[in-house]
Amino acid sequence: MKRILSVLFIFCTFIFAEEYHVDKSAKNEVKFISDAPIEDFEGVTGQIDGYLYFKDGDFTKKSQLYFEVDLNSLDTGIGLRNRHMRENYLHTDKYPATYYKGKIIKSDTLAETQVKATTDGVIFIHGVEQPLNVEAILIRDGKQINIQCQFEVKLTDFDIEIPSIMFYKIDETMELHLNFYVQLFEKNE
Amino acid sequence: MKFFIIVLFIFALTFINAQEINWKKQEDAQPAVLNLFHSINAVNLPTAETLQRNEFEYEISHRFNKTVDADKAYFGIDGPATIRMALSYAVTNDLMVTLGRSNQNDNIDFRIKYQAFHFAHETFPVLLALRAGGAWNTEVYEKVTNEERELTDTKNFQYYGQAIFNTMIAKKVGIGIVPSYLYNSHIYCEDPEYSFTMGGYIQYYLSAMFSFFVETNATVTGWREKYNPIAIGVEIETGGHFFKLFLGNSYAMNPSQYLAGADLYMEDGEWRLGFNITRILKF
Repeated sequence: MKRILSVLFIFCTFIFAEEYHVDKSAKNEVKFISDAPIEDFEGVTGQIDGYLYFKDGDFTKKSQLYFEVDLNSLDTGIGLRNRHMRENYLHTDKYPATYYKGKIIKSDTLAETQVKATTDGVIFIHGVEQPLNVEAILIRDGKQINIQCQFEVKLTDFDIEIPSIMFYKIDETMELHLNFYVQLFEKNE
Repeated sequence: MKFFIIVLFIFALTFINAQEINWKKQEDAQPAVLNLFHSINAVNLPTAETLQRNEFEYEISHRFNKTVDADKAYFGIDGPATIRMALSYAVTNDLMVTLGRSNQNDNIDFRIKYQAFHFAHETFPVLLALRAGGAWNTEVYEKVTNEERELTDTKNFQYYGQAIFNTMIAKKVGIGIVPSYLYNSHIYCEDPEYSFTMGGYIQYYLSAMFSFFVETNATVTGWREKYNPIAIGVEIETGGHFFKLFLGNSYAMNPSQYLAGADLYMEDGEWRLGFNITRILKF
């Protein structure tokens, strides 16, 4: 009898869904880097939220993911520039957040705790949704997963006017670097 | 018994598989800070804006003393000029300090601005700030005073306080009202004079980079130099710089001098050129 229960318990640990939520107490970082004529500038925030969901310990099985970033919290280092970005380019009064939603369609094991995942989804910025595939590195550490990825977005694809610095337009392509942590969600949380 | 456990397990598994995502937004997106005017100053009068914590702002300003129609002075910019340099620092997002110097009486100015109140209304947003400062005139002409005056004589010091009300209509037209009180308005008077003034400015933001403004400061009661100051011009801004170019009738820039009035009569076409350039810095 005990043996049956043990087998079922072990089986359960493999078959149950795993849902991870962004760990807001971790040192999360979402950064954009823009190529400007005089100096590159970047904006940073730690205000990311969302979840990663999959089953049976397989990132691709019944996979769902959704992550959103609060754009009002982006900090370029200069208050006035933050304001320009919010008011003149991102229009955060209308679109306060950006999100990426989709699923993991492929995962390749790189090391014992490290996986390279490929996602298929859509990214929403400035009122526009665009399809986007992203390659990310997932590093498991107990009940936590560190997610690292980087990709590019073209501002004109999202109806964003190309910002100017000192009369020069910056590059219309921005690099986005994400490094954040998700924590296993447990019902009693 | 075994059969019962297995059935129960399958039932539980089915239930678990059907569950939905548990994640929900934990909090609303962070509200943006209320900002109305773009710069911390209109021309000479302050706006209710402050720098963000740990930011510095360096300022260099000129008022060309000769008028734009003066002979052989290239619209006055051949000089001479009254020059001010200043450095501001934000202690917090609401509190900033500024140390400045003007070559008019070698006036050294120290002031504190505190953003005290904000009301983020859709059509009638309001920001209120308070500013207080003191100035030390370190160059006093004995020919004027007809007396020997110590550098630290109390007559060389001036003090002022200002309340700054700002609003913005349709995110395009900024309006500011600045009642001010100045103690010891004229450092050469026998007894300390005072000035109570009511300043105001309007700024129209044409685009993210260009805006136009007009600013005036009327003396309500107390001492005033010949005329009320007025300035009209254009502001060009980038991600960290402001360039303000304007015509005005005052050569003064430090608040303890500007609040005491202007020297030119603009209705007779007596205008002089001036500019303020500021750069925000963060280390």
